[in-house]
Amino acid sequence: MTSKKNELSIRFCGIAGDGIVTSGKILAGACAGIGLEVMVNDIYSAEIRGLGKSTTTVRFSTSKVYSMGDGIDLLIGMAAKESIAEVKDVKPGGGIIYDSSTPGDITEENSLAAHIPSEAHGYGIPLKWLANEASGTNRGRNLVAMGALCFLYSLPPDMFIHRIKTLFTRKGEKVLEANINAFQLGYQYCEEHFPLNHPFEVKEGLSPRQLISGNDALAKGAIECGLKFFAGYPITPATKIMEITAKELPKLEGWCIQAEDEIAAISAVLGASFVGKRAMTATAGPGLCLMSEMINLAVMAEIPAVIVDVQRGGPSTGLPTKVEQGDLNIALYGGAGDSPRVVMAPSTSEECYTGIQLAFDIAEKYQTPVIFLSDLFLGQRIETVFIQETIERDRCTRKKPSPDQLNNYLRYKITDDGVSPLIVPGEPGAFYTITGLEHTIRGTPNYESEVHTMMTAKRHRKFESMVVDLPRADILGDKDAEIGIASWGSTIGAILEGMAIAREEGVKSKLIKSIMIHPQHEDSFRAFFDSCKRVIVPEMNYQGQYAALLKSRYGIKPMEIHIPAVNPVSPLKIAEKILEANHGLSK
Amino acid sequence: MDSLSKRTVLEGLQEAKAARTQVWRDDLPTWCPGCGHFTVLHGLYEAVEQMKIPPKDLVLVSGIGCSGRFPFFIKGFGFHGLHGRPIPIATGVKIANPDLTVVVVGGDGDGVGIGGGHFPHAARSNLDITYILLDNSIYGLTKGQISPTSPVGMKSATSPYGNIARPLNPTTLALAYGATFVARTFSRERDKVAQLILQAIQHKGFSFVHDLSPCVEFNKLITYKSVFESVTALPDDYTTNERTRAIQMSESTDPIYLGLYFKEEIPTFDQIVHEVKESFAQ
Repeated sequence: MTSKKNELSIRFCGIAGDGIVTSGKILAGACAGIGLEVMVNDIYSAEIRGLGKSTTTVRFSTSKVYSMGDGIDLLIGMAAKESIAEVKDVKPGGGIIYDSSTPGDITEENSLAAHIPSEAHGYGIPLKWLANEASGTNRGRNLVAMGALCFLYSLPPDMFIHRIKTLFTRKGEKVLEANINAFQLGYQYCEEHFPLNHPFEVKEGLSPRQLISGNDALAKGAIECGLKFFAGYPITPATKIMEITAKELPKLEGWCIQAEDEIAAISAVLGASFVGKRAMTATAGPGLCLMSEMINLAVMAEIPAVIVDVQRGGPSTGLPTKVEQGDLNIALYGGAGDSPRVVMAPSTSEECYTGIQLAFDIAEKYQTPVIFLSDLFLGQRIETVFIQETIERDRCTRKKPSPDQLNNYLRYKITDDGVSPLIVPGEPGAFYTITGLEHTIRGTPNYESEVHTMMTAKRHRKFESMVVDLPRADILGDKDAEIGIASWGSTIGAILEGMAIAREEGVKSKLIKSIMIHPQHEDSFRAFFDSCKRVIVPEMNYQGQYAALLKSRYGIKPMEIHIPAVNPVSPLKIAEKILEANHGLSK
Repeated sequence: MDSLSKRTVLEGLQEAKAARTQVWRDDLPTWCPGCGHFTVLHGLYEAVEQMKIPPKDLVLVSGIGCSGRFPFFIKGFGFHGLHGRPIPIATGVKIANPDLTVVVVGGDGDGVGIGGGHFPHAARSNLDITYILLDNSIYGLTKGQISPTSPVGMKSATSPYGNIARPLNPTTLALAYGATFVARTFSRERDKVAQLILQAIQHKGFSFVHDLSPCVEFNKLITYKSVFESVTALPDDYTTNERTRAIQMSESTDPIYLGLYFKEEIPTFDQIVHEVKESFAQ
């Protein structure tokens, strides 16, 4: 054990009341505080009941963390019985902390200590007794464990104490002191009883990093780019976005309403956008289903709107607290008639922040709904990010009519780019009525074939003209590789790590990723696919929804990896597929 | 209808339009001659003229159905939305720009059928908008199926053995939901309709007008004649400040009372929103 680790993955497992989420916050905060790259993922069940199992996994490294990786280095079993199922994730040579103060009457079946595999280190620590010594209660067992792991991996205790102070100062001197004591007792106990497991290499002089979730980043981005109206309905895992806008918008002359259902939410968003405000809603799959008809109206009546879908497992109510990328099809095609809409999918928290701003620019400039597909893993995980302070720049605005155009105002005037000059209620000079019926350039209902053909073409022409404003796809990895990967959303992180693993095995690959799902810079994709001998399309759904889009659009025959997901994708699995593809090539 | 009477109707409309250049748009109403909706359109014209609401500050929001076409016939901005959804659309409009006068127009199917889940929430929030529900107890635009306000036993294409479910009473619902202005009118009484629509728009808060607007084409049971025979004005000694009494009176079907049922002034949703925003502006 001479070499130092530069990456660790630590999991707390327990039941409600064990302080699992708080533990994750302290560890992640301490690591971010010393400049490490961190990613945190909480897994819990959809039930609120007191004894529900929950886990928090904190992965940190001196280099960029793209995913939750494979396996864990240390399992902290706060609840013995619940933790047994997590043992299989402990890497060989990893450790398991269990509570040795548990009374002896526990059955072997329920004993975590009895389940420790031979290739792992077991650390029996009397968490409960030490917590009692520190605070006089059983609370604080998580901090005893925190002190233990701090010693085992020789992490700097100062930063942990600093985080504990930040979190507990507001709870009073007594609670704070008890928590610090618990941490120190855990540290000392390990120092006296166990050797170091594996020292973690801490670099000196790194600046503290900002920790943020995808949902936080998205809400922050939307508010900073001029969001003035939000309407939503509580739904896991999107609710956080509404909670942030409810608090922040009134300070910025905006407002957030909690509507009576998702249909009302998107209706109010279109109403607010109709009068000229940047408006947004955020939901998950079931909510997007309910909103479909109104999004269809936004296409027909050409109303700007941003609809965020933080995807969870489906169909139907599905798996409310698990991740899946199953809503691409409804986002792309979920409307009656020829109903084109912009679909975007960020793959990191940074892209949630910058991407949502682009979503508004496209929506406003091209008078169209934009569906922004985040997902549960991306929305809820906390990670270290570089978010630059907002750069003041020209925001895209709605095209205004010239005085001449205002004199004989045509709401749906035919133009080269498909975008008609727009005035909104409250502005003098003209007025009009919008409708979900097919209509003339003036907005009057009309069902003639020529009119329908002309207006349908106009609505689609916007999608051709907007491409110039869209970012090109990024191509990452080895540019000369013959194996190409195309994917979307939060799966990208695991792919980047999987590519690195495959490269260590001597197999090069490259990745094309674009926040734009529709429309795309098609020439970039064509050139990429032309340069690949094999294409792999991994995604978290059973049907291969993105693969289907790429196949029909580019005529490729990819090797598809369909993962109806519950947990984030494993980098190892991606690496295996890359090696498999390579095997196919060399035959 | 023969060509002569058709021309007469058109001529009549043209004349009416010429007399109302301030409010009447280019498009002519699409309703059947004799439709109760004309009376409400007239009432809206009167109110808008009297209040001198410029077209730029007027937003009419409608759903789907015969009443959905209102926004095309009056000078102002219009949002012909989706079936059942005009109320939440109007909610977004009003919160985003409280300076606008927002009027929602919809039918019985729209308001207490498909959109029945939105009505209570607009009422309880007391958002300063006006909601006119034109009740003909039938689905007219789809040519005569029962609606949520159709009487028990009514036969239609979709209820060939008679309507089984009891009808909803929109006036009673509005009162129970907490609307701060509730009136019931009858399309045969042009001046009273106009007068109550004016008062409703002037009211600060969620105002509701339940207009009995017979369908001359598809409803053979609820007609001008049948409604005329069962309505009467609210009694002279009736006061408009008791919600419980108002609910009681609104439930009466014999007679059906017309007039202003209830009115109260409490802070509106948009006023409170404004105050919260102001507290941050300082």
